[in-house]
Amino acid sequence: MPTNEVEQIKESLKSKIPKAADVVFKELHTKEKYIESFYIKTISDETVLHDKLLKPFFEQHHPEEFRNYLESIPQIKSFESEEKAIEELLNGTAVLFYQDSVFLFDSKVDRNNSVLDTSVETTIQGPQSGFSESLPTNLGLIRKRYPETFLNVDITKVGKISKTEVMILHDTRFADPDTLKRIKDFLSSLDLQMFQTGEQLLDSIKKSNRAMIPLMLVTERPDRVAVNLATGKVILLVSGSPFAVVLPTVMKDFMSSMADIYQTYWVSRFLQLLRYIGFIISVCLPGLYVATTSYNPEIYRVQLALSIAGSRNAVPYPSFIEVLLMLFMMELLTEASIRLPKAIGPTATTVGGLILGQAATEAGLVSNIMIIIVSFVAISNFVVPINAFSFSLRIVKYFILALATLFGLVGVVIGFFIFVAYLVKLDSFGEPFLTLVQSKPQPHKE
Amino acid sequence: MKTNGGWKIYSLFLMIAFLVGGCGFKDIDKRLFAVSIGVDLAKDSSKKYLVSLKFAIPSASKEQPNDFYIVSQEADSMSEAVRILKTKVDKEIDFSHAKVIIISEEVAKSRGNAGMYYWFNRRRDIQAITWVAVGKPNAKDILKVKPKSEQVPSNSLFLALGKDGSETPYVIPTYLFDFKYRLIERGIDPILPIIEAKKDYFEINTAGLFNESKMIIHLAPEETKILNFLKSKEEKSSIKVERGKTVIVIDSQMVKAKYKIHTPKGSPPYIKVNVSVKGKLEEASRRVANSQLYQYEKAAEKTLNQEFKNVLKKMQRAGVDPMGFGLRYRSRHFNHDDWEEWKKIYPNITFKVHTKVQITDTGLIE
Amino acid sequence: MNRYFLYLVLLNMLINVIIFVPKILIEYRYEGAVMGVLIAIPLGFSLNVVFSKMISKFPEKGFPEIFSIAGKKRWFIILPFGIISLITFSSGLISLLGFVDILRRFVNPEMPYVYLLSIFLTGVLLIIQLPTDRVMYLLEIVLFLNTPLITFIIFKAFTSEFLVWDSILEVGTYLFAKPSLKAIAAASYAFSGYTNLIIFNRIIKGKLKMWNFLVILVLGLINLFTTFFIPIGFHGSDGAQEYLYPWISTADSLRLVYSPIERVIFLFLIFYMGITLMSVSVHWHVAFELIKGTYKESRKKNWAVLVIFTCCTIICAIFLNTILLNKITVHWMIVRLGLEIMIVGLFFIWARRKTA
Repeated sequence: MPTNEVEQIKESLKSKIPKAADVVFKELHTKEKYIESFYIKTISDETVLHDKLLKPFFEQHHPEEFRNYLESIPQIKSFESEEKAIEELLNGTAVLFYQDSVFLFDSKVDRNNSVLDTSVETTIQGPQSGFSESLPTNLGLIRKRYPETFLNVDITKVGKISKTEVMILHDTRFADPDTLKRIKDFLSSLDLQMFQTGEQLLDSIKKSNRAMIPLMLVTERPDRVAVNLATGKVILLVSGSPFAVVLPTVMKDFMSSMADIYQTYWVSRFLQLLRYIGFIISVCLPGLYVATTSYNPEIYRVQLALSIAGSRNAVPYPSFIEVLLMLFMMELLTEASIRLPKAIGPTATTVGGLILGQAATEAGLVSNIMIIIVSFVAISNFVVPINAFSFSLRIVKYFILALATLFGLVGVVIGFFIFVAYLVKLDSFGEPFLTLVQSKPQPHKE
Repeated sequence: MKTNGGWKIYSLFLMIAFLVGGCGFKDIDKRLFAVSIGVDLAKDSSKKYLVSLKFAIPSASKEQPNDFYIVSQEADSMSEAVRILKTKVDKEIDFSHAKVIIISEEVAKSRGNAGMYYWFNRRRDIQAITWVAVGKPNAKDILKVKPKSEQVPSNSLFLALGKDGSETPYVIPTYLFDFKYRLIERGIDPILPIIEAKKDYFEINTAGLFNESKMIIHLAPEETKILNFLKSKEEKSSIKVERGKTVIVIDSQMVKAKYKIHTPKGSPPYIKVNVSVKGKLEEASRRVANSQLYQYEKAAEKTLNQEFKNVLKKMQRAGVDPMGFGLRYRSRHFNHDDWEEWKKIYPNITFKVHTKVQITDTGLIE
Repeated sequence: MNRYFLYLVLLNMLINVIIFVPKILIEYRYEGAVMGVLIAIPLGFSLNVVFSKMISKFPEKGFPEIFSIAGKKRWFIILPFGIISLITFSSGLISLLGFVDILRRFVNPEMPYVYLLSIFLTGVLLIIQLPTDRVMYLLEIVLFLNTPLITFIIFKAFTSEFLVWDSILEVGTYLFAKPSLKAIAAASYAFSGYTNLIIFNRIIKGKLKMWNFLVILVLGLINLFTTFFIPIGFHGSDGAQEYLYPWISTADSLRLVYSPIERVIFLFLIFYMGITLMSVSVHWHVAFELIKGTYKESRKKNWAVLVIFTCCTIICAIFLNTILLNKITVHWMIVRLGLEIMIVGLFFIWARRKTA
């Protein structure tokens, strides 16, 4: 490369990168040689620069020797184009001008690479640590748990401004090539400005950008990722997010917790059954209450019917308003306790749950039975292990409640089956979202 | 899915449905639950029936038990009565928890009540598993009784008839659908328990037997027990046996009765009833040695044979057939005029009862 | 994946109760229903076996796919497809109207008929547009949720002390009465779930094995016995025929002493809501797909078909009352049986020629 071209590149780079406080342009001189380096110090690791660049530069006297050194260390990439160089520069790479060539020196700083504890998907036993916010660390975590030669990693970038690095991991033996292709197409078709974390994909999967049910699993557990890799799923790792996205996801994945593997067979079966019952209860119970108290009290036994009627005696408005009121209160409570600092959270729940509930019945705003039902619904909603899914269920119960108010018992049952039909209709990258018997992954023939 | 936008249009469709209006929405506290229904003959009036409904008043607090009140109306038919009763109460009358129907003895003994009986079956909100019973002296008095142990109105009746609570061989509970079944089926006749109202409690230990739609006779308590044995419905019971001067009481664990109708050619037809009783000695007026048990078994068999035969003959004489001998005869004969045949056979048929009693032990004490 | 075939047949057996089969059988209990049932069993079963064996020669293909190769003349497809879809549509329609009528009687007595119908229609119309495999998945889930409990109720009925076997035997003594055509037609409905293979063969992989048919035969026997005789055992050989819906009244006659819901009828109806929804959806899905098979894929036409379905249902709902519906069903059963025999026969001949 002729010298004047190098000069040209240098000048154009300098002009394109505005002079921010953290932009560094430095020249280093010894007797025999000189080098110019160009980097942004806040995103570059200066210790690496010091160890790998400055030290050898002053230790090796001969210019050719140093050039050989530069060409042999793994951090160095050769210059391809100006755009590429700028992009790299903005990601923390240092641009070196030495003699008559331009090098890109990978000095990206890897911040936030400490491994975090799991906070969303906690288990009693089994691994307790989750992902970090650093992409290489996360990949390392997965590699460690999945030491297989078949593990394939592709990198793409998503986001017009953020240009976030996304790694696509899959096991070539198990993953369905069609699914993989669909996922890659999906990623390249994304039209996002800022891409920060995998959760953003949940809405983008639908054309309308409005989804109710999440169709991909976002997890913070490396062990879950490893297990899913082995069942043929494709994993997306997003730079800067401690969450991995598992694709394609079916309902069974949302209803399973990692603890299932760490428990004995019958225990985990029982827990799974519990979750499905919780799922049905949290969706149907408010509707059932309205349908049975306002349309078909003959379902209850006499004793229960009379005690419900008795406790509702003081309540001045119809049952569905009562339910709505209490559910609304409960949603506020749940929402508030997430937002509150951890130290006050439990206090708010106690104040809200116990005292408000007690006072509301005393005041005749709601019936006793209602309090039980609302807390039952709330508790069973939390049984669903994946948060994204249990949030969706919180909405569905209002749909069933509306149908129950209008159609009674029929509304509840048919509403529930319409909801199930909707789940069956959904598919996640070609995989049906809900089936009774999920087909197991088989290594496909190559 | 090609028709993805369809969901929106469906929601529109649903919205239209909403506008049509939610009908039948009535909160539980706006309903008045009738827990039991009583039917008497109207007195000093041109009307036919006196219909009483017992309504439960739900209480708001746990401390005070639920109260009740009774509203009555004279009318010529059930539906007329209910229509007028509706104007006497403030809330919507709900029959869905009417679990006991009491018919007074007079009504049961009179003819022409089939329409009233069918009314209960015809209505969708009256359960088919409502108990039907005959009230003595009249139905309204039964409704008025409030036993001390009762928390929910009429609950003590539900417990007594439902056998969830006390289990006794002196009650033959009958469900509404079963009552109707027996009314209409040729060859089997209805039995209804008779409830007698005392001051603070009920006494249910007799049963009334119907022929077609009219009560013909009623059985004494011991006879009721025997009928229950024959039906193999109740097994826990006590049987009193006398042998010489000793009186023993057998606590029966198992009672099984089987019967077969024999119509041999040339000789008169008979019904052979085999009963096997298993139980233990519960009480004895004198010491009974284990070696003597066999003799007591024989004595018990003899007593039981006689009692069974008496009850069967009593029913035969009255021309009622609650055991369903006629149905059994019909079901075993392929010709289509078997019912006419049976009507001729039944009055003259003889009963051969064979009882087998087994006393397993004498309790904790020999 | 032969369990899918089983589901289709099982669905028809379960819906028996709604589509007036018990009512028809009990009505003719003294006039040849017993013999009719005995004749219907081999008849229905053999139709079932012949048709499913034949169609399994075209693996993973429904009628539209099979005949798309065969016929160039359009009327050749439109006529039979039209007739078949009319039959399957009306089959779904009768169960839908019958069940909504039951619901209006027993669950929501004050609701207008069409209003109650609208929610069912919404559900059904949503479901029938799903791809065939999804309809099957949904069917599997619904059956999984409901059948065990329905089986429990039937078990309860069998072991109830109020089931009088003498009454059942009494009806059994009319075995030699001249078989009635109406009873044969009604009873053979239990086996006619195979007709749904016309479309659902698309997702049936592999051959149907012998045990499949064996299970169907056994289930059919139990099912017919239950639908016909249990109401008689509860309500009498003379009395059962007085009930408008014998099986629903039978469910009302059961009492679960220890269950939180004491009255079985409500459990029964709740379970049947799902079953009916699916049965109607499956039948209409077949009709819908068949009609779709006669023209080129077009969303507008699809919508037109759905609108026609809705209008038909609402018109029928307005003009038919229970007794009329019951009468029509009796004749419909006979027509259905006749057409079924014809279609199976024609298809048999055609398929033999095609594959030979």
